[in-house]
Amino acid sequence: MTIFIIQILNSLFYAAVLFLIAAGLSLIYGVMRIVNLAHGSLYALGAYVSAWVVGGAVGHAMSGALGLAGALLLLPIGAVVIAAVGALIEPTLLRPLYRRPEEYHLLITFGLLMILEDAMKLLFGGTPLSAGSIMDSMGSIPIGRLLYPTYNLVVVAIGLIAALGLWWFIYRTRFGVILRATSQDRRMAAALGLNVGRVYVQAFAIGCFMAGLGGAVVVPAQAAVLGMGVEALVLAFVVVVIGGLGSLEGALVGALIVSLVRTAGIQFFPEIELAVLYLIATAVLLIRPTGLFGRA
Amino acid sequence: MLAVEGIDTYRGPAHILNGVSLHVDRQEVVCLVGRNGAGKTTTIESIMGFLPVRSGRILFHDEDMTTLPPHERAKRGIGYSPEDCGVFPDLSVGENLMISRWLGDTVARRRNGGPRPDAEAQAFGLFPEVRNLLQRRGLHLSGGQRKMVAIARAIMLSPALLLLDEAFEGLAPVVVNRFAEAVMKIKAMGVSILMAESHLGAATRIGDRLYAIDRGEIIFHGPPQAALADEKVVKALRG
Repeated sequence: MTIFIIQILNSLFYAAVLFLIAAGLSLIYGVMRIVNLAHGSLYALGAYVSAWVVGGAVGHAMSGALGLAGALLLLPIGAVVIAAVGALIEPTLLRPLYRRPEEYHLLITFGLLMILEDAMKLLFGGTPLSAGSIMDSMGSIPIGRLLYPTYNLVVVAIGLIAALGLWWFIYRTRFGVILRATSQDRRMAAALGLNVGRVYVQAFAIGCFMAGLGGAVVVPAQAAVLGMGVEALVLAFVVVVIGGLGSLEGALVGALIVSLVRTAGIQFFPEIELAVLYLIATAVLLIRPTGLFGRA
Repeated sequence: MLAVEGIDTYRGPAHILNGVSLHVDRQEVVCLVGRNGAGKTTTIESIMGFLPVRSGRILFHDEDMTTLPPHERAKRGIGYSPEDCGVFPDLSVGENLMISRWLGDTVARRRNGGPRPDAEAQAFGLFPEVRNLLQRRGLHLSGGQRKMVAIARAIMLSPALLLLDEAFEGLAPVVVNRFAEAVMKIKAMGVSILMAESHLGAATRIGDRLYAIDRGEIIFHGPPQAALADEKVVKALRG
């Protein structure tokens, strides 16, 4: 029973991180109709930046002075940096290509993926970077006769808050209405006086922020390593294929399904864990090509 | 108020408008009539800024806005109701209207010129039934309701000029009369209207002045009655 509860908690932890990544990917597609292949690499960059900041000199000074609170305050810097990177990428690299067919978007974001991967290799080298001090100083809580890291539960809470916050933001705020209007009919949005270019930068930056936040929250639990971005991109794609690209609810349900299957897979059928995920994605594509929550 | 001076507009490689000139004065209903494909929608879209103009100028309140993006034109007081209505399908009608009210408020604040008319009362005054549709999603509106929402939404901007593309198309004859009344009410609010229309009959009933367009060129300009008497216009419209 204890094992079962811990496995559920583990899959909720994965689901929270995956949701952050996939929701960003989905938001960007929903508003701009761009499939951002570099999204996973932005997540990885967020992880590296956060680990570097928390584990670096500033981090040591802050955690020396403020303890855990100082380190936790530094953690989201990765997300903020990635949002800024996004706000830079959209107008310079993506905007000139909106009028072109989709394959150009794929090409440029794939190129960006390669550049980011190499940039990370150059900046951070091959050694894994971690912000494990946060995880250590948070300690663990007993579940049955076992101990479970408290930090994992914090991440689950962050995922939940992010889901609720994003929902509120998209469906209940003025900017959310503008975002949805632009995603549905950008011409008409412009005719009603909305600066579509500005909405695009903001949407892209928010999507990147989500990816960076995913990286930031994961790095106290798992070190940032080369290649983590591509792995995350593949899983995020499975999530949005199952849930429906462009749908927030889809990203949430897809993230839950993928992490539950993955956790069960690692426990019961480790050899074919990923294959089962792809099979589920294929089945969804065959039966409901737009995903569980997507619209044609 | 609006002056279009000899514009040439292309859609891709196709040369659609050939030196089109027209003007709309204060509180005036001007109809642009022509067959399908004559260049009516292209003219409206050039004025709104969706299509780049290769030559010629578009002036609004004496300001050259030929190269302004569409949202800047909307902010200067141009309302637009496109042929397909452009009602956001996944937004509620209330949210559809909200967007233009926000913009109207922002613009009024920036201009700082006198109180803004109660845009909401004006919009609902035109089509009271829209009030009962506020919760409904754009996707679930009938064709006539969609047109009402599109026009009410444009009025919420408190525009100085309203561009109506095929406002009467596909409506039952009884409903057409309501829309014609609405156009008169909008005019009485002090708003000028440029409407693209394929039926000469409807255009002559409500237009103060009329332009006829054929193959991207203005072939007639004058009072509506004169258009009915002009054999060339009638022939061009019948095709």
